[in-house]
Amino acid sequence: MSNIGKIENIFRQEFNLDEKFDLKTLTYQSIPEWDSVGHMSLVASLEDEFNIEMEMDDIIDLSSYEVAVKTLVKYGVE
Amino acid sequence: MELSESIKTLNFVELLEFQPNRYPFLMIDFVTEYEPGVFANGFKNLTNNEWFFPVHFQGAPNMPGALQLEAMAQMLTVAITTLPGNKGKVTHALSHKVRFRKEVFPGDCLRIETKVISWKRGVCKGVGKGFVKDELVCDAEMLITIPDIFEKYLPKK
Repeated sequence: MSNIGKIENIFRQEFNLDEKFDLKTLTYQSIPEWDSVGHMSLVASLEDEFNIEMEMDDIIDLSSYEVAVKTLVKYGVE
Repeated sequence: MELSESIKTLNFVELLEFQPNRYPFLMIDFVTEYEPGVFANGFKNLTNNEWFFPVHFQGAPNMPGALQLEAMAQMLTVAITTLPGNKGKVTHALSHKVRFRKEVFPGDCLRIETKVISWKRGVCKGVGKGFVKDELVCDAEMLITIPDIFEKYLPKK
């Protein structure tokens, strides 16, 4: 599976989103599941999947699916 | 086995520096040993004078399960608030999964063992067990946080 596919899977699993949900519209707190606890869980899952440790500023800036995809490039996830 | 030099105890007065809860909600009396960021063990002695026994229940006093859970969470908190920079910080519960196995009565000593599974960015995942006379009476998986730290990592709205 491609890395973009893995990222997509993590978002869908973390927030219980089905295939119909357009991830490009997903932003922090736009759904109840992506709350503060969900955010930390999402970051932990992304770090585990790609064996990376994200910097504090990147975790704060990670406020949407699209930003997440762009941010992960910085960590070699493309 | 040689114990780590960092293993220490906290008496009731020392404990207050690392546990923000106070009477009538402080549910632990003594920390018999702890290692910051790793574990904290101790106990809560239950006398017939506990504030909850007269109402839970009249004629059949036993420690409310919610307070057994609170005792385990407070002990786990000590394992985190004893880390450098965390002293005196307030903690919040995020989620707990608990099982109550036996009733806890006046006169019992509730011995509590807690272990940190992970501590990252203000969030602690841990487990706790409560024993009376070496019998397991409750156990829990707990997620607690220090909001001061946790909130620094959240996106700004």
